[in-house]
Amino acid sequence: MSGQSMSVGPGRTGALLLVAPALLMIGFLFVYPFGYSVVSAFTDNGEGSWHIANFTKAIEFYSKDILFTIVIVSLSTAIIGILAVAIAGYLTLGENPTAVAILKWLYRWPLFIPFIVSAQLMRTFLAKNGMMNNILTSSGIIEPLAAQSYLDWRGIVITFVWKQTPFVALLVAGAMASIDRTTIDAGRIFGASRLRILIELVVPQIATTLMVGLILSYVVMLSVLSVPLMINAQSPTMLTVDMAWRINSYGDYGVANALGIMSYLFTGVVAWFYLRQSLKDKGA
Amino acid sequence: MVAAALSNNWVRTVTRVLTMSLLAFAIFGPITNMLLWAVAEVWYFPYKLPLEYGFSFWERVFRPEGNATEALFSSIWIALLTVVVSLAIAIPAGYALARGKMPFRYLIMLLFLLPQAFPAVAVHMNVARIFYGLDLTGSVVGVVLVHASQGLVFSVWIATAAFAAVDAELEAAARNMGAGRWRTFVDVTLPLALPGIMASAIFVFLISMDEFTGTYFVGAPDVVTLPMLLFTSSMEGNYQIASISSLILLVPSVGFMLFIERFLKADVLAKVGN
Amino acid sequence: MTLKSVLTGAISGAVIAVSMPASAETQLNVVTGGSQNMVEYVTDYLGPLFEELHPSVKVRVTGTGPGDAGSQKILEKLEAQSAAGKEQWDIDVIVAAQKKTGEMKEKGLLADFRGNIETGKMVTRETAENALGVYVGGYVMPMFHSQTAIAYNPALVPNPPESYDELREWVKKYPKQFGYNGIKNGMSGVAFVTGWMYTYSGDAKTLQNGPYDTAKKDSWADAYAGLKAFNENVTFTPGNAGTLDMLNRGEIVMGPVWVDMFYSWQADGRIPPNLKLKLIAPGMPGQPYYYATPAKATNKELAEKFIELATSPEVQAEGIVNRFNWYPGIDADHVKASLDEKVWNKLFTDVTPLELAQKGKPFPIGPYFDDIKEGYEKQVSN
Repeated sequence: MSGQSMSVGPGRTGALLLVAPALLMIGFLFVYPFGYSVVSAFTDNGEGSWHIANFTKAIEFYSKDILFTIVIVSLSTAIIGILAVAIAGYLTLGENPTAVAILKWLYRWPLFIPFIVSAQLMRTFLAKNGMMNNILTSSGIIEPLAAQSYLDWRGIVITFVWKQTPFVALLVAGAMASIDRTTIDAGRIFGASRLRILIELVVPQIATTLMVGLILSYVVMLSVLSVPLMINAQSPTMLTVDMAWRINSYGDYGVANALGIMSYLFTGVVAWFYLRQSLKDKGA
Repeated sequence: MVAAALSNNWVRTVTRVLTMSLLAFAIFGPITNMLLWAVAEVWYFPYKLPLEYGFSFWERVFRPEGNATEALFSSIWIALLTVVVSLAIAIPAGYALARGKMPFRYLIMLLFLLPQAFPAVAVHMNVARIFYGLDLTGSVVGVVLVHASQGLVFSVWIATAAFAAVDAELEAAARNMGAGRWRTFVDVTLPLALPGIMASAIFVFLISMDEFTGTYFVGAPDVVTLPMLLFTSSMEGNYQIASISSLILLVPSVGFMLFIERFLKADVLAKVGN
Repeated sequence: MTLKSVLTGAISGAVIAVSMPASAETQLNVVTGGSQNMVEYVTDYLGPLFEELHPSVKVRVTGTGPGDAGSQKILEKLEAQSAAGKEQWDIDVIVAAQKKTGEMKEKGLLADFRGNIETGKMVTRETAENALGVYVGGYVMPMFHSQTAIAYNPALVPNPPESYDELREWVKKYPKQFGYNGIKNGMSGVAFVTGWMYTYSGDAKTLQNGPYDTAKKDSWADAYAGLKAFNENVTFTPGNAGTLDMLNRGEIVMGPVWVDMFYSWQADGRIPPNLKLKLIAPGMPGQPYYYATPAKATNKELAEKFIELATSPEVQAEGIVNRFNWYPGIDADHVKASLDEKVWNKLFTDVTPLELAQKGKPFPIGPYFDDIKEGYEKQVSN
C-alpha cells in the first residue's frame, strides 16, 4: 500500500462500518454454517462429547489421499506459476508483435470453461483412445502401440493447469505491464538476456500478485470435486472425493468435516506464508 | 556474421511458431473436442471422428418440456444480480481495506478466502438449514446471496486492489480543492477504480453462471438455472449435453471477456491482493 | 457506467427479484435422483401426462444426480427443512435410491401413503417392504427395478466368463481389458464388489437378510485379498456412465453396468450396437428406485395422485417397460396384460427371466453394506 495517505481514507470506525456488510455476509453465510461443521468434526455428528476420533479415522483411512492431494495441488500450483510467468513475461517482453497478439488472444479461453466441463473434455481428450492420442498417432508423432492413457494423477494436474493458468497469467500480465519500465530498459542496455530480465528484474516486482493468484488457484483446486472424480478413477484420490463419499455413502458428516478441516489447514499454511510476506513487505 | 544472425533469426522464428502451435494445440485441442461433441450424433470406437453429425441433442436441450431457454435467462439474470450485490458489498469493503485504518486488515482479507477454501459438500446442508429458517429458500434473493458469498473473495480482493491502485495524491488534491469526502470518492476515486471493479464483476459472473450445489439447496425447486437443468447429464458424462451447455454458458462469458478488455487496466491488476 | 446507473440497476433488480412470480397454477415439485434417463422420464413423459389429466397443475422436475450422492441431496434438503422447523416442505414427490430412502424413512422424513392409493395393492415384492434392512412398507412405491450385469463386446470376447471364478481367470489372461468404477464412483461398481463379496465371503444369505453381527467383517480378509489381486489387472472407470463410455471408446471390452442404462445408451447410439450383457453366477445385485412423498409435502393429495398414476399398470407398461427399458416396479402380472409380448421380451434379450430370478440379488442390509464398503477402502484400495 505504497500511497496510503492518512488524510484521504476513512478512519478506524468508518473503515469497519464500510467493511461490515461484507463481514456480515461471510459470517452469516460461511462462518456460522462452518461452525456446525467444526462441531460435527469433533463430535459424533453433533451429539455426545468432544473427541478426535473422526480425525484418527480420517487419517487411518485416507492418509494416502491426504498426501496425494497435497502433492497434486502443490505440483499443479508450481506448474501454473511457471507457465503464468512465462506467458505474462512474453506478453510484456516479447519483441514480435504478431506473436504477442496471438498469445494474448489465445491463452485466456480455458478461463471460461467450467470445471465440470473441463474435466469431461480432458476425459475424452487424454484417454488412451482419446483425441490427443488420435492426433498424435495419425500425424505419425507416436506409434499407435505407444499410446497411453493420461487419466490418472497426470490427468488431474493437466486439467488443473489448463484451467487455472489463464487466471493467474491474467493477473500477472496486468501486474507486469504496470511495473516501472526503466529497470527493464536498463537491463537491456547492459545486454542481459530476456530470461534473466524476467527472472531477476520482473518477477521480484510482481511476486505479491503472483502469490495471490497462486493462492486463489490453490484454494480452488483443493475444493474442486468434479476433476478428480472424472479424471482419476483409481485410488489414491483427492480429499474432496473422500468427503463426498463419506457423506453420500455413509451419511458420515463427522469424518467428512474432519477431512474438510484438514484441507482447510493446508490452505492455512499457505495463507500464513502470504500473511507473513505481506506484513514483511509493509514493514520494510 | 550476417549469415549467423540470419540463421539465428530463422531459428527464433521456428521456435516461436512451434511454441505457439503447441500452445494452440494445448488450448484448442480440448475445446475442439468440445465443439465436435456438441454436434456429434453417433461417435464410438474405433472411429476417430463422429460417425454422424447433427443437432438432435440441441433439440433435446431446447425442447419445450426442458425449459432450457427460461433457465438460461434466469441464469443470466441471477448472475447479473449477483454481480450487483457483490459490487454493492465489495466496493465499500474494498475501499475500506485499501484506504482505511483497518485493524487486522490481513486477517480480514484472509477471512474472505475461507468460503473457497473449505470444500463445499459439507457446508451446504447447514446453509440450507439457515436459509429455510429465514424463508429465503426458493427465492432468487437466496440464490443471489449464496452466489455472492462464493464470489466474495474475488470481488473483495480485486476491488481492494483497484482502490489501492488509485493514486492517493489525486484524492488529496481533490480534498485540497475543497471537495468533500463523498464527492472525492464519487468523482475521483470510484471512476479510477472502476476498471478493476468491473474485472471482479467478471469473475463473480462466471462463478454464478456455473454454480450448481448452492443453487439446488437454496433455489430448487422454484428457481431453476441452466446448470441445474444440465447437472445430471453433465455429471454423468453425457458429452453432447455437457458440451452444449458449456457452449451456451460460454456466450455470455465471452461477452464479459470483451468487458475485461475494455475496463481492465494493467495498473489495477498489479495491486490485486496487495 | 456511472454509480447512479449501477444503483438504479441494483434497486430495480431487487424489486423484480422479490416480485418474481409464483404463478396462479399449482406447482407440483418432483425431485428425482438417478441417471439422466430418469430425469427425462419425468420431464418428458410422466410430467406432461399428469399435466394433461390435471390442467391446473404444473410439474416441476429437478434432477440431483446419480447414485447415493444424488439421493443424499434429496435427504439433505428434506432434513434441512425439518431442522428449520418448516411446516410445509417444498418437495412433493421424491424419486430416490434404496439405501437413502430407507434412511429418510428412519429419520421420519417420509409420509405413509401407500394405503391411500389404488395401485398400493399391486406391489408384493420384498423390496416394497424392505429397503436394505429398513422397513418401508406403506412409505414407498417402487418406480422400477434395475439390475447390474456385465456388458461385453462379443466381437472381442466371443466366450464371456459365466461366473466370478471364470472372470478372475479371464482378467489374468487379458489384463486391463475389464473395467469397473471402484466403489466411490457410482453404484455399478459397488454392485460388482457386492457380488464379489456374496461369492467369496461365504455367507451371502446373512448379508442380505441379517441378523447383523459386527464380528462378521473380520472373516472377509481373504475375499478382499483376492479382490486386491484382481484389481491389479483391472482398468478403473469414472462412474456408471464412465464404464459404458470406456466400452464405447474401446478402452475396455468388459465391465459391470446397469441394464437399463445399457439399453438406453444403445438406443441413443452412444455405445456400439453389437455389445451384449451377461449376468454372471452366482449373481449380482439390483435395486429399485422408489417414489415417496415427504412427511410435510405441500401438495400431499396431488403427490399421491401423481404416484398413483406413475405406478398404474398402463404407465408402467408404456413408460417404464416400453420406453425406458426398466423392469416394472409393480408386480409383473399387472403390467404384462397391458403390453405386447414382443415389447415385454425386449427386456429379456440378453438376460432371461430365469437368470434374473436366480442371479438377481438384493443389496446387503445397511450395516453390512457399510462394512463391505469400509472394508474395501481399508483392505483393497488403501
